[in-house]
Amino acid sequence: MLENSIFALLALFLMIGAMMVIWSRETILSAFGFLVAMLAIAGLFALLDNSFLFLAQIMVTAGAVVVLSLMVVTSINLKEENLPKEPYKFRWIVVSSILVAPFGLLIYRSLISLHKSFAEVSSGYGGLEMVGDRLFTDWVLPFEIVSVLLLAAMLAAIVIARKEIRDDS
Amino acid sequence: MTPEPLFAISTLLFCIGLVGIISRRNLFVTYISIELMLSAVNLLLATFSRLHGDSAGSVMVLLMIAVIAAEAALFLAIIIQLARSKKSIDSDEFSQLQQPRESL
Repeated sequence: MLENSIFALLALFLMIGAMMVIWSRETILSAFGFLVAMLAIAGLFALLDNSFLFLAQIMVTAGAVVVLSLMVVTSINLKEENLPKEPYKFRWIVVSSILVAPFGLLIYRSLISLHKSFAEVSSGYGGLEMVGDRLFTDWVLPFEIVSVLLLAAMLAAIVIARKEIRDDS
Repeated sequence: MTPEPLFAISTLLFCIGLVGIISRRNLFVTYISIELMLSAVNLLLATFSRLHGDSAGSVMVLLMIAVIAAEAALFLAIIIQLARSKKSIDSDEFSQLQQPRESL
């Protein structure tokens, strides 16, 4: 019972955050909606007995990615007149919702056809020890590939975002 | 607790992200919508991990979180670069790579 009410609360927050992202005109409000949604997802991870993912979500996504996004929004500092003109935004949102709805229904129907009840889990499930054990035995190669990917992304971000140095001579 | 509400909420989140990408022209909203779609997949993976009592799903979510971080760094760098060159984040402004109309 308590579990269900916590789930309902988190789902409400998740939907409010996601709707804020796509409805609001101000970019900073979108970023705050993003923060709310990421925190709600962290809560859902905790509800799924996944304490390690809860920590990782809080630290990486809610901590680093959202803060970086907020910093970019405030440092770009777009004025009202520089925001994109979107006179038909609500009409677009309604039309694309209608277009996307059958697709979502398809996903949902195919997911519930896989329905199982939750398995009884062992006591260490979702903890740091079990995930780390799995990560460094069966998933070592993807882990190494991800570290190369992060290095490449870091280099590319530096190269793309730096100012062009003009040589006037 | 049954898994259906979790399936429903991750499907809804994915669809909201897709609607955001289709309907908005603000590049920043496009970026956050992509993040929302990735997070919906994360939530689904965690649900299936819990359904089967198998920690491989959790490991996949962990790797996905790393990919999300890499994607965020790249996309934000691109947004900064575009905003600096055009003073705007309207996705219609950025057509440097488009072929000129007359040569089509």
